[in-house]
Amino acid sequence: MTKAHSNILGGIVCCSLVALPFALQSNKFLAFILGMVLINMIWACGMNVLYGFVGLMPLMYAGIAGIAAYGMIHLTRAEGWSFWVAMPVASLCAAIVGVLLGLPSLRLKGFYFTLCSLVIQTAMTLVFSYFPKYTNGDTGINQISPPTLNGKELNGAMFEVVLVLFALAAVGSVAFIMSRPLGKRFIAVREDEVLAEAVGIDVVRTKVLAFFLVSLYAGVGGCLYAVYVGFVSPRAFDILSSLAIWLIVAFGGRGSIAGPIVGTLVLAPLPYLLQEVPWAKDIILGVLIVGVILWFPGGIYGSLFKGRGVRAAVRKGDADRMVDQRV
Amino acid sequence: MSDATILVLVSMLITGVLLGLVFALVAAGVSIMYGCIWLPNASNGQVFVLAGLLAWSLTNSLGWSVLAASLAVLAAGGVMAWMLEFTLIRRLYEAPNRNIDYFVMTLGLTQIISGVFSVTYARYNDQYELPKTIEGVTFLGPMPITNTRLFVIAVAALAIAALFAGLRYHQMGRALRAVFQNRDAAALRGVDVKSVYRFAFILGTVVTMLGGLLYAMAYSFDLTLAWTMSVTAFAIMIVGGPGSIFGALVVGLVFGLTQAGVSVVASPTMATFAYLGAMLLILLIKPSGVFNR
Repeated sequence: MTKAHSNILGGIVCCSLVALPFALQSNKFLAFILGMVLINMIWACGMNVLYGFVGLMPLMYAGIAGIAAYGMIHLTRAEGWSFWVAMPVASLCAAIVGVLLGLPSLRLKGFYFTLCSLVIQTAMTLVFSYFPKYTNGDTGINQISPPTLNGKELNGAMFEVVLVLFALAAVGSVAFIMSRPLGKRFIAVREDEVLAEAVGIDVVRTKVLAFFLVSLYAGVGGCLYAVYVGFVSPRAFDILSSLAIWLIVAFGGRGSIAGPIVGTLVLAPLPYLLQEVPWAKDIILGVLIVGVILWFPGGIYGSLFKGRGVRAAVRKGDADRMVDQRV
Repeated sequence: MSDATILVLVSMLITGVLLGLVFALVAAGVSIMYGCIWLPNASNGQVFVLAGLLAWSLTNSLGWSVLAASLAVLAAGGVMAWMLEFTLIRRLYEAPNRNIDYFVMTLGLTQIISGVFSVTYARYNDQYELPKTIEGVTFLGPMPITNTRLFVIAVAALAIAALFAGLRYHQMGRALRAVFQNRDAAALRGVDVKSVYRFAFILGTVVTMLGGLLYAMAYSFDLTLAWTMSVTAFAIMIVGGPGSIFGALVVGLVFGLTQAGVSVVASPTMATFAYLGAMLLILLIKPSGVFNR
């Protein structure tokens, strides 16, 4: 696709997205699915920066979203802050935590970092469950009041329009970052850390910055999730959520702007459409994960629009990174 | 010390050794797969529980004895592993970055298996318990211990000893260790690397299932055990060093005794935190593990 094509497509998508919530008002269920798709899109944008462009697979992603969500809930409920103040503060805190949790990536690569992030995620889920002071444990927190705008509680189509704006901002900001030198530095670090260091890129700073940015996406998504759904429990932010977001990015096509969008549109509605058969969700998620690994390492966007060469390139690109990973 | 304290201590010790041996066995299975094929099998916990569940079905519905059921489950596990190897695992043997691919793929398998559990076993029961393998109770001094648990300890110890000996002296075991150390050099020396991979995957799966069967004989279990076991086995493998059976044994015993000890004074969750902490620490300090060359 050429740049002009992308711009036109982007314009159409933006306009129709803002109009969509109003069109869906007759069907609350579809409107809710739209809302969840949009929140997942914010998450997928962040995951894509780290997994697609920096080349790290953070399985503690949902945990970071959880920290922001619980922080925001605490600030609004116990401290009486407005959502619009609490969300940025909680997301910033989550981003700082995300940077700290991302520090192992400075030493560990590939599988070892992923395993480390899995450990962190498991620990975070345990913390959410066993320290109920802020999280109410496994019972979860319900009746989270929606944010107010102009003195009125956000609900109905207006809420989804706000989500649309956030999702567009997320996609737009990723596209913007990736067009800047910072984006190029991300890709350079993904391709070859040693080489990146040699041409003068501060790899440590780049990675720390990446974790900070990415955790912001996770945090904002987490806060919006909490107020939109109105209920959070540790299960919403466990390893399966991290994997589901990872799958959206990997299935859609990592390392491109459009890939995660395609992935979100296809995968995010699935759990809600399959509500009648909850077990099918798990099995489909699993089959898709296996399928992506075996047949679509470049994602469906990559395979459909960029030809079969992508598949080989993805494997080869990774091969170069793997040399110093063996222990 | 009063008699009661001694009893608590001895019972803790026995529980710890039993848990430790089972942990070590599962970790050895995971470790063989990772050391050889470079396959970090995240679905080991599900396979572990699957073995117990299948044995439960055979004993409860068909009325088989526990031993017969266990042998059947192990055989079925071997066939299942062979089929998995044939359909999925072997496709990535050549991929250079396969450890992360395999890791994610087995996380997918975990999802599939737990989805299948939730439509099948989760509908019958919360807790599963096998009938006694061997009737009766033996007294170690004042301390009673069921014969089943003694049997479990003996089988687990024997299995680990057999793994040691097999890897050291049997031709296939030596080929396996050669591939651990350097797959290219092993190939040059005439080792058929792919058949070693296949063997390692099947052996690792069967060993994991044996661990699951032994655990199910000694304790009742539920479906949430799967994820705890996966994490524990990974923690033991990372701390002990991938590919090291000795590391798996030592660290497994330490973890088992820790869990038994902590459970007396605090909730088992604390033990899980301790494992996770130990794994993180080792990952950051010495990712090749404590007991690796």
